[in-house]
Amino acid sequence: MAEKAILYDATRCTACRGCQAACKQWNENDELIPTEENGVKAANRGSYENPPDLSPRTWVKMEFRETDAGGAVRWLFSRRACMHCTEAACVKVCPSGALYHHELGFVAYDKDICTGCGYCIDACPFNVPRSDRNLITGIAKMDKCTFCTTPGLDRIAQGWEPACVKTCPPKALQYGDRNQLIAEGKKRVESLIARGWANANLYGEKELGGLHVMYVLDDHPAVYGLPVDPQISAATIAWQDVIQPVGWVVGGLTILGLGLNYLVARASANSDKEKKNAARS
Amino acid sequence: MPQEVEKYRKPTRILHWVHMVSFCLLFLTGLVLFIPGLGIIAQDSWTRVIHRIAAAIFIIAPLIYIPLNLKATAKGIKEAFSWGIEDIGWLKAAPRYYFLGDESDMPPQGAMNTGQKLWWLIVLVSSVVFTITGLIMWFAKTTASPAVLQWMVFLHDIAFIGASSMLLLHIYLGVIHPTMTEAWKAIYKGTVSVGYAKKHHAKWYEEVTRRKEVKS
Repeated sequence: MAEKAILYDATRCTACRGCQAACKQWNENDELIPTEENGVKAANRGSYENPPDLSPRTWVKMEFRETDAGGAVRWLFSRRACMHCTEAACVKVCPSGALYHHELGFVAYDKDICTGCGYCIDACPFNVPRSDRNLITGIAKMDKCTFCTTPGLDRIAQGWEPACVKTCPPKALQYGDRNQLIAEGKKRVESLIARGWANANLYGEKELGGLHVMYVLDDHPAVYGLPVDPQISAATIAWQDVIQPVGWVVGGLTILGLGLNYLVARASANSDKEKKNAARS
Repeated sequence: MPQEVEKYRKPTRILHWVHMVSFCLLFLTGLVLFIPGLGIIAQDSWTRVIHRIAAAIFIIAPLIYIPLNLKATAKGIKEAFSWGIEDIGWLKAAPRYYFLGDESDMPPQGAMNTGQKLWWLIVLVSSVVFTITGLIMWFAKTTASPAVLQWMVFLHDIAFIGASSMLLLHIYLGVIHPTMTEAWKAIYKGTVSVGYAKKHHAKWYEEVTRRKEVKS
């Protein structure tokens, strides 16, 4: 089946945060409203960004950036959520198979079998997964954007677009076949370059084997807070591709060796006994 | 002459079994992470809760033992690091002995033979690695940098692979191997027969009997 993706066009986004609200509503991610009656003191963080970070109940969030573009201030908006990588570090480290690739390419999640180990949180090159964690007992559950494939709330299986895409008023978010969206994204980048945005680019076409959330940007990815050339960490590779296979080999050889030893040692012990018995009689 | 000699004192035996049970719990609840098919039994964090309870016992048990048994602790640790020419002889003779029961080349051994010393050394080193990396993963989970936490898992896994495969060997030699008849009794009841002591730990037996003579 053709892979699906989301294309986010930062140049069309008005940062209305309709996607944030639609995501919470569809996925039933109610959150405490931080009012003084709820025991939260209002704090000025110097930004319209709200909430301040992704959380187990905030799977998509708009980021606001002010940059200095040759003396003029630019106010940039960017979307922060799971990137649904093809080479997904989280899927690689997830020990229970709770994180897996959906047949349409993105990273789906079976929350029921999450053990709360938090390996995905440490492995993600985009720092996306979040969990509520009891530090003493270690009890935790991870949460992240599931591309609207949460069982019971699966929009994709219904043939619908994700909730964030559905609600986006300026059509900055689009959902469709990944290949078509790449072509569409490149067309927009070309038109941006033609209009003088020399650094315009399509982010996510090749990164980590291809992301299933791609960005049309009018400037360098770093300006939008995106990692340039994100990588699966060396620790992830050393641990998953080296140490775990070594562990299986060492464990397997040990059991094999002990079994072999048992057979040989028992046979020789028995023949010793027979010799003694024979000597006695 | 008594028919039995004491091999392990009671506090040492209790520490052994407390450590054994807690390590087996740690081993099984950790093994789940290596077998994706078992993920289903690890859901909702409960294996990780057991892992923490067992870890607390694993760490606290020696911390109680050590101040109450300073002399035995010092002796034990010293023994783990005392290696000599006889250990090479043991390693050379070991395959013939453990496969064929041929002990003609076995040099006389102290309270611990070379194999036991090797295992004891692995226990000491891996316990320290498990404890340090484990405590960091436990209590600094939300504060340490992701890279630090990932390398802690890496080190924890190396200790896991080394200690667990050697644990299989340890259990096998104590319980299953056809000629290891009294190792089990030594750690269960605390004594071994004089015959077994002379045969398997000649140097240690000499030492023990000499001490007895001096005392009496």
